[in-house]
Amino acid sequence: MKFGIFYEISVPRPWERETEYEVYQNCLEQVRLADELGFDQVWAVEHHFLEEYSHCSAPEIFLTACAMQTKNIRIGRGIVVCVPQFNNPIKAAEVAATMDLVSGGRLEFGTGRSATWTELGGMGADPDETKKTWDEWVRIIPKMWTQERFGYQGRAFSMPTRAVLPKPYQKPHPPMWVAVTSPGTELDAADRGMGSLGLTFGGFSEQDKKIAEYRRRIKYCDPVGSFVNEQVNTVNFLFCHEDDEYGTKTGLRLSGTFNYLAEQLLAARQAYPSRSYPNLGLLPALRREATAPAVGQIPEGLAIGNPDRIIECIRKWEAVGVDRINFLLNAVETVPQEQVLASLRLFAKEVMPKFQKQPAGASAAGGA
Amino acid sequence: MPLVGTRDVTPLGPLSPLLPSFETPHWELRGATVLQVMYELEEEGMLSLLPPALHPTIPPTVLFNVTSVPDSPAGPFTLAEVRVGCRSAARPRAFLVRGYTDSAGASTELRTHWGYPVGEAAVVLRKGYDRVHAIVEVDGRTILDVALMNPEPISGGDVQYLANMNLARVDRNGSELLRLVQVDPDFVFHRADRGTPRLLAFEADAWGIDGAVPYFPISASVTTCDITMPQIRYLVDPAKPPLQAIETVGRS
Repeated sequence: MKFGIFYEISVPRPWERETEYEVYQNCLEQVRLADELGFDQVWAVEHHFLEEYSHCSAPEIFLTACAMQTKNIRIGRGIVVCVPQFNNPIKAAEVAATMDLVSGGRLEFGTGRSATWTELGGMGADPDETKKTWDEWVRIIPKMWTQERFGYQGRAFSMPTRAVLPKPYQKPHPPMWVAVTSPGTELDAADRGMGSLGLTFGGFSEQDKKIAEYRRRIKYCDPVGSFVNEQVNTVNFLFCHEDDEYGTKTGLRLSGTFNYLAEQLLAARQAYPSRSYPNLGLLPALRREATAPAVGQIPEGLAIGNPDRIIECIRKWEAVGVDRINFLLNAVETVPQEQVLASLRLFAKEVMPKFQKQPAGASAAGGA
Repeated sequence: MPLVGTRDVTPLGPLSPLLPSFETPHWELRGATVLQVMYELEEEGMLSLLPPALHPTIPPTVLFNVTSVPDSPAGPFTLAEVRVGCRSAARPRAFLVRGYTDSAGASTELRTHWGYPVGEAAVVLRKGYDRVHAIVEVDGRTILDVALMNPEPISGGDVQYLANMNLARVDRNGSELLRLVQVDPDFVFHRADRGTPRLLAFEADAWGIDGAVPYFPISASVTTCDITMPQIRYLVDPAKPPLQAIETVGRS
């Protein structure tokens, strides 16, 4: 089991001159501490226009700053929106390779397609097209990395032969992941030999079934990259405190705040009827499952409370087949920074030693 | 935390329907046609359109719905609604201040049982092969002219209708109070099409949402469906903050 931290970078109103600056600086301080404490990875999302929920529209910059201030922690681009109105596949390959070079081969490359009308509409993207362009991009980007020169004539993207430069430091290329929010996307990941970067919480039984099917399907995959990245990465909340009651109470406040913000998003399917965004694909709806239990209960699988409770929780995740857990540490600064840092320290001291630690990326057949 | 509305809806009280009780008849409306067109609203009016109990969507949105019902206990009717997209705490909803039907009988039933703040008007929904077109006229004045162009079949499962928050007066413990009545019908879809939204005329003040300026088209769909009208389960106090505003309707 490997542990990481995960950033939406949510910023509370009012947005005064210092607000975003302080949130970003807090995040960087957390990343530096996480690196010192032995966390394996830091991931940052790409979102646009999502007021308060996520002010992380340039994760490649944030993650480069993370890389420059740390030594070992891997940096997860989570995710590159593979939609032409958001990004360009050549530029995405170039930026990723540069991040990999300047970080000394620490990049994890996540891919996805956006799930809100706020973003898709804002960028002028066609919701019907996003799955298709994602599928095209994930097949060509690794070729841009591994072929000296690359040319392509495709459905939504074409280019004459050029040398896409630089090339990544990791050979043959960084591990590739798919953001999984819609049901069934974990199977898309499996079929393409990509890691499953779970961005929803879900309960143990739900994840157990999904992971089992992912493992079964990936055996027969047609890998888009030069190697199969069979790994299941999931997201959780973290608030670790010696006092279990205080820890769970604060953790519930964190998860509740985050969930409330997530529910405010204008999901693609709420605005634009499309098979591309099926009914159960709502990111907030899935998050609700794990963050809105009966009154007085602690949601299943959340890493909140004292170390013993969190160890028990993570053992269950380990048992259902999760390889990595990334923790959300805050939401609109609900938890004071010193408490976030203390929570990380306590987790590293009491919880991490209970789980065998391997170098991140070791299970990927390559990417080292 | 998310923005909330600033609108004082108290002045709308006298015009709002009165629910004498929360008992609802069983209405199954078979073979209904529902046109839904969605636009983004200019953000200037985002907060002033909603009461403090509701969050605006980001971006702010408005939904034009015209529902043609071939048969009901009150006879056939066509209902036109212009609703502001919102969140009631964490739930997606649509706020209705004023709507119209072409049937006095249906208007009375919808007002009395589900708190629809509707009046009478000439409401027409025309379904063609190249477009689905709805027009609402009051006293010869066109207050809504909206259409879906170039319909293409999609799955009914891809369409989502938001539950209404109808502004109405209700009896709570012997007091007549202004509340948002949550109305969340069940839909069984038989056919669905999607097309290009087109808004040709819209008078916001006729719908009780002065200042609403639709400017950016999002989507248009038309469905054939069976609608089951719901029981009233939740109310919202429009003046309270979202997390404190929700009330449960008790039943004996």
